[in-house]
Amino acid sequence: MSADNDVLISVKDLCKHYNGGAIKALDGISTDIRKGEVVVVIGPSGSGKSTFLRSLNLLERPTSGSIIFKGEDLLSAKTDINKLRQKMGMVFQHFNLFPHLTIKRNMTLAPMKILGLSAEDAEKRCKDLLARVNLADRIDSYPSQLSGGQKQRIAIVRALMMEPEVMLFDEPTSALDPEMVGEVLEVMKQLADGGMTMVCVTHEMGFAREVGTRVIFMDQGKILEENTPEQIFTNPQNDRLKAFLNKVL
Amino acid sequence: MDALTRIVLETAEPSGFFATVWAWLLKTWTSLKLDFINNFVTGNRYKYILKGLGVTFTVTFFATLIGIALGVIVAIIRSSHDKLDDELHPGLGKTVLGILDNISRVYLTVIRGTPTVVQLMIAYFIIWKSSNNKILIATLAFGINSGAYVAEIIRSGIMSIDPGQFEAGRSLGLNYIQTMAYIIIPQALKTVLPALANEFIVLIKETSISGYVGLEDLSKGGDIIRSLSYSAYMPLIAVALIYLVIVMFFTKLVSLLERRLRNSER
Repeated sequence: MSADNDVLISVKDLCKHYNGGAIKALDGISTDIRKGEVVVVIGPSGSGKSTFLRSLNLLERPTSGSIIFKGEDLLSAKTDINKLRQKMGMVFQHFNLFPHLTIKRNMTLAPMKILGLSAEDAEKRCKDLLARVNLADRIDSYPSQLSGGQKQRIAIVRALMMEPEVMLFDEPTSALDPEMVGEVLEVMKQLADGGMTMVCVTHEMGFAREVGTRVIFMDQGKILEENTPEQIFTNPQNDRLKAFLNKVL
Repeated sequence: MDALTRIVLETAEPSGFFATVWAWLLKTWTSLKLDFINNFVTGNRYKYILKGLGVTFTVTFFATLIGIALGVIVAIIRSSHDKLDDELHPGLGKTVLGILDNISRVYLTVIRGTPTVVQLMIAYFIIWKSSNNKILIATLAFGINSGAYVAEIIRSGIMSIDPGQFEAGRSLGLNYIQTMAYIIIPQALKTVLPALANEFIVLIKETSISGYVGLEDLSKGGDIIRSLSYSAYMPLIAVALIYLVIVMFFTKLVSLLERRLRNSER
């Protein structure tokens, strides 16, 4: 068991209610995410898994509960959320590259404006990362000139430009053509192998089993089961999880 | 009848069909020429048109600048109020933004809810009645008027940008203003550029009401000529043609612009 100081994100009693509590997207989520973990969140659609992930960097503002990231309470009025978001990379289902900027500018914009990197340093970092995902020749392209898989690989390295301590993936392969899923998962696997802390919402059970260090199963805004991939897939306890796995596997 | 006309009429064969047509053409041409001289040449009356054109361009140009400046500010206040409502903790910032938003709403309602000509007269006869600088007052009035329409155009542009763009900017750690400045506004402006150019074309024609406060713009210039020459046809058609040519020119520019913007998206 890891010591407590390894905990990167500590989530307690997280709730997100709509319509004054009539709809509970998140209904008391508590979990700790430790350094180096690859946490895979699975569950049926509408289970709240994306809401949970988006709450971690406050793209969704929870109704109640607490999120402690590196010892700072994200929900406190005194917290500089922009500062903390720099340390949490996020990858979206629909890539969300900036269509009016070249790949280079997409990647160097935030590091130059926020971290104060010089143009040369930012470009160097950009080239190194592009080489890692085999897209070095695309540095001057616009996003519209890339395939879905290429866009998502760019989106991943764009987040890495900020040198985050944790990467959040919100269904990164759901909008991709099937033949492009592999190339994106490969990049994510490399990242995991490199020791990056990751939280992934995904429907890729193969990825969950192979790369995940822990799997969280959510439904109706609650965590119903969380365990190692091995246990989740071979020895599920919760009935809802069993039914879910029967359908997707 | 001048000498030329008399000669033509006297020498024409009274019975021949072509001669009759010829005589009619000549007569018409002559009377048009006389009309032209009477309206534009006598007493250098064409200068009313030229000077008026200058006034129209000056007022339109500076009113456009004021309109865009005001419009961008109001659009950002309005959309920030909507977007930041969730994020801002209660405090001074939120209060100030709320007040600014309310001022913007009143501005939009009043400007879009009253006729431009009434606004112009209120500006001249009430608000700045101590000043006699008609060009400045008209420019301000048209600028403030245009700002309301520009604000709604730009706000529609901001709202048309995929929320994912905003989230991507914020998730990288860019703050609200940086995300707006580097990611949202550039894309929004690109989307609404044709609509903005159209607002400019509308404004050119709108300035034709400047005569209500005695400002001698293009329309008023034509009107003055009419009152001097006692003939309405020439000056009014001339003024209409000049507006038409200007508007056609800018419409062409806008369509070229649109085509270029579409190409750059591929």
